[in-house]
Amino acid sequence: MVNLIINEWVKHFRKAGTYVMIGLILLVVIGVGALEKYEEIKNPTFNPDWKEELQQQIADDKKFLEENKNDNIDSMTERNIAINEYRLENNLPPSPEKNIWSFVYDANMAVELAGLFTIIIAAGIVASEFSGGTIKLLLVRPISRSKILLSKYITVVLYGVFYLAIIYVFSCILGAILFGMPNSDVPHLAYVDGQVVERNMGIYLIGLYLLNSINLLMIATMAFMISAVFRNSSLALGISLFLFFIGSSVTYILSSYFDWVKYILFANTDLSVYTDGGPMVDSMTLGFSITMLIIYFIAFHALAFGIFKKRDVSA
Amino acid sequence: MEAVLKLENVSKKIGKKTIIDNLSLSVQPGEVFGFLGPNGAGKTTTIRMIVGLMKITQGDIAICGKSIQKDFEEAVSHIGAIVENPEMYKHLTGYQNLVQYARMHKGVSKERINEVIQSVGLTNRINEKVKTYSLGMRQRLGLAQCLLHEPKLLILDEPTNGLDPAGIREIRDQLRTLTKEKGMSVIVSSHLLSEMEMMCDRIAIIQNGRLVDVQNVKDFLDTDQLAFVVETGPLDNSVTWLKEDWGVEILENGFSVLARKEEIPALLKRLIDSGVDLYGAKQVSKSLEDRFLEITDMAGGQING
Ligand SMILES: Nc1ncnc2c1ncn2[C@@H]1O[C@H](COP(=O)(O)OP(=O)(O)OP(=O)(O)O)[C@@H](O)[C@H]1O
Ligand SMILES: [Mg+2]
Repeated sequence: MVNLIINEWVKHFRKAGTYVMIGLILLVVIGVGALEKYEEIKNPTFNPDWKEELQQQIADDKKFLEENKNDNIDSMTERNIAINEYRLENNLPPSPEKNIWSFVYDANMAVELAGLFTIIIAAGIVASEFSGGTIKLLLVRPISRSKILLSKYITVVLYGVFYLAIIYVFSCILGAILFGMPNSDVPHLAYVDGQVVERNMGIYLIGLYLLNSINLLMIATMAFMISAVFRNSSLALGISLFLFFIGSSVTYILSSYFDWVKYILFANTDLSVYTDGGPMVDSMTLGFSITMLIIYFIAFHALAFGIFKKRDVSA
Repeated sequence: MEAVLKLENVSKKIGKKTIIDNLSLSVQPGEVFGFLGPNGAGKTTTIRMIVGLMKITQGDIAICGKSIQKDFEEAVSHIGAIVENPEMYKHLTGYQNLVQYARMHKGVSKERINEVIQSVGLTNRINEKVKTYSLGMRQRLGLAQCLLHEPKLLILDEPTNGLDPAGIREIRDQLRTLTKEKGMSVIVSSHLLSEMEMMCDRIAIIQNGRLVDVQNVKDFLDTDQLAFVVETGPLDNSVTWLKEDWGVEILENGFSVLARKEEIPALLKRLIDSGVDLYGAKQVSKSLEDRFLEITDMAGGQING
């Protein structure tokens, strides 16, 4: 198994395209860094009057709470109030000067790009063996087809993690160089069960990256499935990228009209809605979403493996 | 001795079409076995089923006693195969390709890889990318790939496709060494009889997915009656006695005859005595070729639908 994964890894790393992808990711992170540095120099953001401003904000929010009755928005407003009050009590300014963590947070935009590249790999990893005819020599080995397919899927996931790690590590390094470490500890403030708690920023950000990549993982899995079932990388790429870019927004639009939208994959991929804001359809819960994700995940793999194992190979 | 390969009543249907119909045969250790048949006869399909690329609709195939359907990993570990063209990863070098395959088998050492590269004559080009290889070089690399793990059964689908005469000869010699010295069995497929005759011990003639006949090449060459083609000038009235006494078939530049080897000198002597110009006489295994052509001609040269 390990050998199979090494094989897949080698095949990809001998392609020029892989380096272009890594290069593009680094470039985007550098781009974000350059822009922010420029902004920082042009207009320093630190606001000495932040305490008054926060108090004003809290007062506004409270007034808003009294005037409006809407579950979703209420919980968000309550959360904002709690966090802002916590900041006043503990002397934690909301937007301190730019530092390594704020940069790593901003750089998570590049996760979309990593998602894109992971989908490209997922769409091609099985189909390309068919189109190149190399599938024959690959399957005539004392290794079951399931193991071959599994090694390919693991490779896809590893690539995703690899790209995320590149973004994370590189933006940490670049953030430290451009903006430096924060003067004092800047914890992330989370609102859990009506309590404000401090979280380590580095760990919070890793969590954020991983949460962001659930969507990515699901679409990559789907691309992989289409690739294994239809042996056609353009088809897999086309469908997956289409859904990757417009899936969530279309689902969001539909969600105001139909209740069944909650069964659509994209209504469930963003788990952060359960801590910030609210889900697309009110009746949804975190448990529901996780269940749906698992069902989709298993369905994609059942299709991919079921068909790949039985298929007559005449490429 | 246990057969290295055994096909028992194997059939393959795709949709409603029967592509392979109730095929049974077995291949012995150390034997070179040929699949001979016109285009579309089902040679490649049979090979695909043997190596597990295609599912078997009916019947079973065993390699060294292990069923390819029930015991795939064990069965296929005895096989090295090229199915149609040996497509490799074009963006890797020949060597990197071989390393890929070596990783998928147990116990293939670096030395073994180099040894195989040497034996297929690719040492000088092995570190170039496969996309720069010629067809013949790809065939050689394909051969290297299936020899790595020293299989008991080598399956080569049209191995000489794209090889130059020297390359064909090398393959022939190599197959001989592999089978006679290492006891490997080999299956080769081809639609060229002349080629098969030189390589194979036995030849299965396949047509329309059915096994028409299995011919033992050596028996065949050893029979009393051999076929000879005699090239001559104008035969004039020698035609009469040639036809009556020898039953020859007149060709454009001479004739062909079925005879025992020791009868030939007498025939040639009489020809010369009759004043016919004699340019040459060579032995051909006529009746095997006849048989093959007979079979292939049945469809009037058309690919069978
Ligand atoms: N995937 C498939 N679907 C339908 N028919 C197929 C398929 N693969 C092969 N066939 C048919 O099966 C028959 C045998 O094909 P096969 O490739 O085994 O022939 P072959 O003997 O190898 O011929 P050639 O000498 O041209 O290589 C042909 O009629 C072909 O059209
Ligand atoms: Mg063929």
